[in-house]
Amino acid sequence: MQTVERAIMIPAPPEDVWPAVSRSDDLSTWFGAEVELDARPGGRGVFRWPDGTERQAVVEAVEPGRRLSFRWLPFQRTPEGEAVTVPSTRVEITLDAVPEGTLVRVVEQPAFSLPATLQTRAAATALAAIEA
Amino acid sequence: MKRDRTDAIFSALADPTRRQVIRALSQQGPSTATGLAANLPVTRQAVTKHLSALADAGLVTATRKGREKLYQISPRPLTDAVSWMADLGARWDERLAALRDHVAGFRRR
Repeated sequence: MQTVERAIMIPAPPEDVWPAVSRSDDLSTWFGAEVELDARPGGRGVFRWPDGTERQAVVEAVEPGRRLSFRWLPFQRTPEGEAVTVPSTRVEITLDAVPEGTLVRVVEQPAFSLPATLQTRAAATALAAIEA
Repeated sequence: MKRDRTDAIFSALADPTRRQVIRALSQQGPSTATGLAANLPVTRQAVTKHLSALADAGLVTATRKGREKLYQISPRPLTDAVSWMADLGARWDERLAALRDHVAGFRRR
C-alpha cells in the first residue's frame, strides 16, 4: 500500500519543536483541529475539526524530543453526528537535529496490523464505550 | 455503522492475497477464477472468495461467461484510493507549514 511521507525543515532545535508536536495546546494551533492528546504510549487523542468532524487516536510510541507515533481509530464522527468507518492509518512524526535546525518528518500509512473484520469490531466496541 | 467507501477499498486491499489477485487481473486482463488461480499460489475456491470480497468493495466487476464468471478490474475505486492518499499528503503539507510558522512565532515571543 501507499505511504504518505512529508518533511519540513524548521530553523529551531528539536527541544523547541517537540512541545509543538506533543502538547495539546500547541498541536491545536497548527493541526487544523482542536487537539487533546495524552502523549504517552497508550494515551488517547481526540481531534475535533471546525466542521464538527471528530476523530480519535491512540498513542503508540513516544521518544521525547525525537519521535511520536499514533494510530487513528478506524472510524470518525461526521458533522451530522454519524459514526462512519474510515481507513485506519498510523502517523509517525520524527524530529532529527540537523545543522539548520530540525528536520521534521511525517509518515502516514495504512495500519493493517489487524484484519479488517477485527478493526471493525474494535471500532464498534470503542464507540460503545464512548457512548456509554 | 456506515462505511466510508475508501475504508471498504482499503480494507479489501489490506489482504496481501487480494492485492495479488488485483495485480494478476491487471496483468492478465479479464479472467475467470480458474484462469487466475492457475497463476496464483492459492486454490480456485480461495480466489473466488477474494474476488467476491473485491467485488463487494467495488474493485472488480463480474460478468457471466458460461458456467463461470469473468472478472475485471474496475479502475475508479483504485483511483479514489490513490486520490485519498494524495489529499492526505496535501493536508500534511499544510500542517507542516503551519507547524513551522507556529514554532517560529513561539521563538520570537
